[in-house]
Amino acid sequence: MSLEERLRKWLELEREAREVRRRMADWDFIRRQPPRLRAALVYYVETGDIRTSAKLSGLELEDFRELLRRANVPVVV
Amino acid sequence: MFAVADTCFLIDWARWRRRDALFGVFRTVFVPESVLGEVRSEATLSWVVESMAQGRLSLFTETPDLIEEARSLVERTRLVPGLRGVDLPEAVCLVAGRRWRYVVLTENRGVLMAADILEEYRGVRVWRALEVIAAALRSGVIASSRPAEVFAEYEEDTKHFFPRRDLEAVLHELGGEA
Repeated sequence: MSLEERLRKWLELEREAREVRRRMADWDFIRRQPPRLRAALVYYVETGDIRTSAKLSGLELEDFRELLRRANVPVVV
Repeated sequence: MFAVADTCFLIDWARWRRRDALFGVFRTVFVPESVLGEVRSEATLSWVVESMAQGRLSLFTETPDLIEEARSLVERTRLVPGLRGVDLPEAVCLVAGRRWRYVVLTENRGVLMAADILEEYRGVRVWRALEVIAAALRSGVIASSRPAEVFAEYEEDTKHFFPRRDLEAVLHELGGEA
């Protein structure tokens, strides 16, 4: 499999994961969060990048993971 | 069999009701110092510390040359367009996995991508909870006639979601219902 094919495969997997996150997220909960947490949650739903999202939120990684649980945003891996 | 675990794996796995099954699959699971530094919650920390005291988790101290290779890996993942960047704690795990043939335990897509895309890391075995649970079921560490329920328990306890295609493939292989 070429590099391009491999990257395409991962892009497709990420597209599917994003759909799951968007579908399962508790958007009412997300909308009720302070701006910084709300932005970080939306960023996570769209990208699945937990480290950058945690940094955006100002929370430690494990605390951000807990916030994802409360927002019903699954980690899809 | 030895493994090295990153933060994303540990903080989910520690919430699972059958978390100690990990030690039936692996003789020792190494936890790099950089990973341990990111574990903050009392629940995760107490499980990690207890498991260390029992010799089932072991602290892994990074050497300067390993850190150097990990930093180089971090940079490389940011140079390939489309490849998700990995950060230092995950890079440390991947480098340790390559050097000592440890299974790398992660829930970080960047690590999975790096091990698939970057030539020199392609041989590293990278497992998610999905593969660990499958190994536990296959070897009898977890005895269950309903494998699908075991995976569902994990999803329920951790709010993790296994990609359905991957889960169905594993269940098919285990001979359970897909």
